[in-house]
Amino acid sequence: MDLANQSNGAAIDREGALSPARKRARRDEVQALKLAAPGILWMTLFMVLPMIMVVYVSFWTQTTFAIEPTLTVDSWVRFLTSPTYLDSIVTTLFIWIVVLASTLVIGYPVALLIGLMIRNVTLQTALLVVCIIPFWTSFLIRVIAWRPTLGTEGAINSILINLGLIDTPFTSLLFSELAVVIGMTQIYCVFMVGPITFMLARIDHSIIEAARDLGAGFGKIFLRIILPLSLPGVVVGAIFVSVMVLGEFATAAALSGRKVNMLGNIIVSQVGSLKWAFASVAGVILTIIIAIVITTLLRIVNIRKEM
Amino acid sequence: MESRLLKPALAVYLGLFLLFLYGPMIVMAILSFQGPTGGPQFPIVEWSTYWYQHLFGQISGSRVSQLPVGESLIRSLVLAVMTTIVSTVLGVMAAQAFRTRFAGSGPIFYLFVLGMIVPGVLVGLGMALLSNMLGIDRAWWSTSFVLHVVYTFPFAFLVMLAIFNRFDRSVEEASLSLGVSPAETFRRVTFPMIFPGVLSAMLFSFTLSYDEFSRTLFTSGPRLTLPLSIYGTFSVEIYPNVFAFGVLTTVFSFTLLAIYGLLMMRSVARNNQQFKGQEA
Repeated sequence: MDLANQSNGAAIDREGALSPARKRARRDEVQALKLAAPGILWMTLFMVLPMIMVVYVSFWTQTTFAIEPTLTVDSWVRFLTSPTYLDSIVTTLFIWIVVLASTLVIGYPVALLIGLMIRNVTLQTALLVVCIIPFWTSFLIRVIAWRPTLGTEGAINSILINLGLIDTPFTSLLFSELAVVIGMTQIYCVFMVGPITFMLARIDHSIIEAARDLGAGFGKIFLRIILPLSLPGVVVGAIFVSVMVLGEFATAAALSGRKVNMLGNIIVSQVGSLKWAFASVAGVILTIIIAIVITTLLRIVNIRKEM
Repeated sequence: MESRLLKPALAVYLGLFLLFLYGPMIVMAILSFQGPTGGPQFPIVEWSTYWYQHLFGQISGSRVSQLPVGESLIRSLVLAVMTTIVSTVLGVMAAQAFRTRFAGSGPIFYLFVLGMIVPGVLVGLGMALLSNMLGIDRAWWSTSFVLHVVYTFPFAFLVMLAIFNRFDRSVEEASLSLGVSPAETFRRVTFPMIFPGVLSAMLFSFTLSYDEFSRTLFTSGPRLTLPLSIYGTFSVEIYPNVFAFGVLTTVFSFTLLAIYGLLMMRSVARNNQQFKGQEA
């Protein structure tokens, strides 16, 4: 009791003796919180709450056309024992790994040229803009544009036949896993090129000159200097691409002819047949996968330190 | 030596890469001028603007039903404008808040950024479940709208944060110490300086919302937005009118980008002029 009073008194004392500078700092802090409050409220109500809802509903009881708030693990058991749904997890991971690798392999040389090889800033910016422009056009239109390109009577087959390179058109270009991978690689490549270019452009050219003067060949310079210094860019790009590919369903639906079913496709089709609890299970599994992928990628480099 | 060979090789590679990026769009643009009897593939039967006329409802008695773009286009534009206004205001406020370090700013930063990371299909599902439970009707202007802001607000916030990081605080402090009220200082001093950033934040919000689709899918209710009605045509056989629409919407995006570029250039030029005037 006495102790409490004492400390209370001390607190008031400290409050009274607060310097004007500290008072102002505290007022600024309150002001900042007030400014951030609408954003915090919006994100809590419309993002955190819906996400909690997904987890909650995944334990509800699913009847034929409705869900009841009686808690059960039925949906989870059914999901994890069904080969179809377990397959969708495998498909999601497979498509993700392949697209991640292809965006990196295809995007890295582009970033190398724009970020490191070209010294003229105007040309650098212009090329980067040319790479980014397709991002401003409609996502769905970019997906659907692959159909007349890859189809049996599409552009690629027409060109190859007219050149006399093949006699019969490829039929497996469209409506296959390959089509999905090609489409996603094209759409998400920019997100890999951007961050890597950004990191490469910051490399001090004198380091490379020094290495060359000391007799290092290009291979050695690349492996020992360029690659390590660009790694944060690779990780940021990988996070962008991973997050978008893992949550995808439209490209898979439009280009695979429903042969490729990712977790996103499962969610869409389950919602379509009003199996909300089931869709929620798929949603929670997707969230877990994305969380694991991001934390693993963040382990590779400390981005906050590198940026 | 090696780099002398490497550079031309990379240049050729860049050409191929650009072909990869732009190729499908070019193919689509060519096929949008397909004749009335032609399908969504090669060869071109005859060159015509038939499918563009079809898009605008000027062809009667066609075997292909018209794309339902009219009303959904208006809905998408209204939704994008609403989203742009709200997320830019929220973004500027939040970035302004982050200029002072306050308790919990770390976690709050991640809370904001999470909005652009969480897959649309997940928040869409969550919002649909939430509105079902609360008995709220889903509609493009309510449930879809709040999710669009969840998605675009982080972009606006990050753009403004970057602008404020390179911002000279002393001009503001001069204004405040001369007795100008904080509100007036923001309006007369801060806002004109951050205007290019605000413009970028608006461009981001508008384009992202206008094109947003996975967040709208479960939350828009019976009245569809433009991307949803386009997606609806994917499940049935597609016709060149989808390509004609694709060309027009791409032209629209580029027009928007050009307007942004012009406004940006004017704003930069005006700032330069102002500073010149001060020096004289």
